[in-house]
Amino acid sequence: MTSVTEARRSEPRAPGPSRRGRRAVDHGPWFLVLPALIPILVLSVGPLLHGILLAFTDAQSGRTEPTRWIGTLNFQDLLQDTLFWESFRIGLVWAVGVTVPQFLLALGLALLLDQDLRLRWAARALAIVPWAMPEVVVGIMWRLTYNPDAGILNETLRDLGFGGDRDWLSGLATALPAVIVVGVWAGMPQTTVALLAGLQNTPRELHEAAAVDGAGAWRRFRTVTWPALRPVALAITALNLIWNFNSFALVYVLTNGGPGGRTRLPMLFAYEEAFRYGQFGYAAAMGCVMVAAISVLLAVFLVGRLRGGDER
Amino acid sequence: MRTRPAARAGQYAALLAYLVFLAFPFVWLASTAFKPATELAGLHPAWIPQDPTLANFRQAFEEQPLLRAALNSLLTASAAALVAVAVATPTAYVMARHRSALARAATGWVVVSQAFPFVLLIIPLFLVLKNLRLIDSLPGLVLVYVVWSLPFALWMLTGYVRAVPAELEEAAAVDGAGRLRTLVSVTVPLLAPGIAATALFAFVTAWNEFFFALVLLKTPEQQTLPVLLTRFIGAEGVADLGPLAAAAFLATLPSLLVFALIQRRITGSLLAGAVKG
Amino acid sequence: MTRMPRRTRTTPVRTLVGAIALALLLAGCSSGGTRDDGRVTLRFQSLAWQQESVEATKELVDEWNALHPDVRVEYVQGSWDSVHDQLLTSFEGGEAPDIVHDASDDLADFAYGGHLADLTDLLPERLTSDIPEVSWQSVTFGDGVYGVPFLQEPRVLIADAARLRESGVRVPTPGHPWSWAEFRRVTKELSGDGRYGVAWPLKEPVSATLNLSLSAGGRLFHRDAEGKVTVRFEEGDAVVPRTVHEQVNTDRSASPTTLGSGGSDTLPGLFAGKYAMVPLGFSYRQQIVQQAPKGFEWQVLPAPAGAGGLAQGVSPQTLSVAEDCPHKKEAVAFLDFLLQPRNMVRLALGDWMLPTGRQALADPALRTPEHGWATGTALAARLRPAPAQSVRGYPEWKDKVATPALQEYYSGAIGLDELRRRLEKDGNLVLARYQR
Repeated sequence: MTSVTEARRSEPRAPGPSRRGRRAVDHGPWFLVLPALIPILVLSVGPLLHGILLAFTDAQSGRTEPTRWIGTLNFQDLLQDTLFWESFRIGLVWAVGVTVPQFLLALGLALLLDQDLRLRWAARALAIVPWAMPEVVVGIMWRLTYNPDAGILNETLRDLGFGGDRDWLSGLATALPAVIVVGVWAGMPQTTVALLAGLQNTPRELHEAAAVDGAGAWRRFRTVTWPALRPVALAITALNLIWNFNSFALVYVLTNGGPGGRTRLPMLFAYEEAFRYGQFGYAAAMGCVMVAAISVLLAVFLVGRLRGGDER
Repeated sequence: MRTRPAARAGQYAALLAYLVFLAFPFVWLASTAFKPATELAGLHPAWIPQDPTLANFRQAFEEQPLLRAALNSLLTASAAALVAVAVATPTAYVMARHRSALARAATGWVVVSQAFPFVLLIIPLFLVLKNLRLIDSLPGLVLVYVVWSLPFALWMLTGYVRAVPAELEEAAAVDGAGRLRTLVSVTVPLLAPGIAATALFAFVTAWNEFFFALVLLKTPEQQTLPVLLTRFIGAEGVADLGPLAAAAFLATLPSLLVFALIQRRITGSLLAGAVKG
Repeated sequence: MTRMPRRTRTTPVRTLVGAIALALLLAGCSSGGTRDDGRVTLRFQSLAWQQESVEATKELVDEWNALHPDVRVEYVQGSWDSVHDQLLTSFEGGEAPDIVHDASDDLADFAYGGHLADLTDLLPERLTSDIPEVSWQSVTFGDGVYGVPFLQEPRVLIADAARLRESGVRVPTPGHPWSWAEFRRVTKELSGDGRYGVAWPLKEPVSATLNLSLSAGGRLFHRDAEGKVTVRFEEGDAVVPRTVHEQVNTDRSASPTTLGSGGSDTLPGLFAGKYAMVPLGFSYRQQIVQQAPKGFEWQVLPAPAGAGGLAQGVSPQTLSVAEDCPHKKEAVAFLDFLLQPRNMVRLALGDWMLPTGRQALADPALRTPEHGWATGTALAARLRPAPAQSVRGYPEWKDKVATPALQEYYSGAIGLDELRRRLEKDGNLVLARYQR
């Protein structure tokens, strides 16, 4: 039994209007919330607020100088810091560069898997692999693949007569694209699975009716599949965008931000600022800027999502 | 539905392309793990090891405290998973059954927490844990993992609770069972498969996690597997491809196993969350 | 979902609670044993990584423990890869080891940040006089001495001996090295046919460039009368970068693909005859001995010389004591033991490096021509502290400004003027933040 069916079954059972009236005043057994609430407050909400405050101090490693409030000095420095904005730009290129192909490839795969094809089971099984793997292993694996001498990529290119003399991860021009490919690979399965589940929720009768009407594949997709898939697609894309913008381990293992900072994502930049150079306050300011950027992205998506809801 | 043969052929070609793209890095990892050092040093690597060997695995175990790290990972991940579901189940129950302000705030937090970059969290968390003397200790890491996996655990569990008919509980309440009794004796058993799936998911998340472990664990005896794996990559690039591949290969197996078990369930709740979220 | 048998309905909860208790218990137990048994225990974090040097270090620790039952030293394995981040967070988190192995160019922030103990009054006279003054300079920050420099390695050229013989080029010696111009000519001569005269593994381009630049009279960092440091990229600083740049982009005598590689990554190419020479740290000889195919002949050549002769910058490996260590005297006594001349020789042999101590360096085992030891020891007297290591903010300057700028220059993406502009302008901005 799959939980897809569970989810479907549960849909109509979500508290109906008749019950809702009664429960609106019912605060429920509030003490049941405490075990989750306390750790969240202490280890998540609290630190976040603390982190925002830190951004206005000169907190740094070492015990020789006390921490002082410095107002917005960190943010002023940050405005001047061309390296950070370069990293920010790389972060956006990375986030979009991963999310868009991820979505398109995943959509293609999901549509294929929704067909009655013979090798479907193999693809489904394989789709689990990148999802389940520790990110560190994904990074190591692709390092082996990209290795200029001992890697399979160059060897294959050599066999096909395309040269194959590139050091993908340390070439200035190739590093970011190479890392993006890994990002797409690693995140595609999850997106596929979500989209596939969404596809399987689209009413099959509508499809068949449209086919009987003589609608072509593209029109069927536009008029029947996409409207049903839209909420799932939007949600998973928004999440992907956020996750990708915040990703760390993959690039840490693959290039550690190199060559020449070409793959230094904002997360990596802030991590280094805090835990390599010990500039805690400055790094917290970077974190704040990243939160702001993500909030804008999120807002844009939520607006899009709401509008999508209206159209339905 | 009829599909034209040409279109069908195209679909198979596309599917094959996907299969190759998804599989080849993993195949390469496995192949590298079983290759002897001489083949790895050669300039023309082959897909299939000509002389497969377990030497890389032996070397990996000899040179790095792989077992120790695996044990650390196992303990941390299991403890985090169990605590997370123990803590999340009651909350998820309240969130699913009652529309109180608290439940709404919790739901809001689940969404918002996804957006925060870890850096903003980790610096103060580091300072907090330092005061609690929980830096460089597995219990400290467990705490962090619990909080970190709570959003998704709540998300999944709320879906499962909604799937349990409220009528059953109401019937038990009519029979005179108290609220807590109802929860423990009626709802939880029905939820058990969902709880198990959530726990396993939290387990894999913690097993795979790298960032917090990197920052919070200091001494080598405490390191978890992902942190140890990055240690194989020396300061001057990859020195030993074989043992690195072997260790990475081994570290993946538990995740794959668990994921194979729960993949369908996660898919479901992801969907449920996305649609309702 | 409802298939669960009725009779087991309370067990999941009980099992869960039991399992949590167990897991927490186990997690708690594994987080370090007790240290309060009346004896002094010192945690010594070593970064030794080659098998022989790990063994040598562990043996020495065991010997110490056998001799000193009341001051136990516990060997902790660290890693060069992330030592700076790891130490910074350990010091900040109050979990640092008592004795810390590191390199002198990594110590400035820890020394100025108050995390390391000033050893000036703790070191025994024997050690202070055995290690030359230049080496002590590399661990002196402000008025304090924050570590003991003990091992160092010059950068040398590892060459395919057969290729050199065939080509008939003059083989350089420490007494009569190549000049940079001659080196360029030789590599050109050795190139062609998909083969390269040299492969520069410049994954970490800054230390390699700055250290070799000393031979051409480069200094880069200039301290003014008030003690403020600024970057100035002058003619002497340009010799080495220009040579590499021209080899890669004009002569095609250096492989463009290895510019981003670590040293080990170039070895397969060296063994396969693709590269005639690879500039590597002296200790790479160990990997070559281990990995070279049968019949591969190799030799160690001194790096080219310039206006500054064979001078070369090094950042010696160091041993420091944490400021938080409650038993500093015992810790220094352990260092004294570890760095006895004969022990220093063992460590040097284990790491395939040169010891800093004069007595250890005189040991015949380090002067044999086998595996190029003699060439290396002949260079020992020319080693100077790396130019920038006492400059605050150097690590950030190196990672954020200099590394990308040099990488782009070497690969041909930018020219010498742009390189100068970035090293000076962007660089001085970063340094200024640390010198307010």
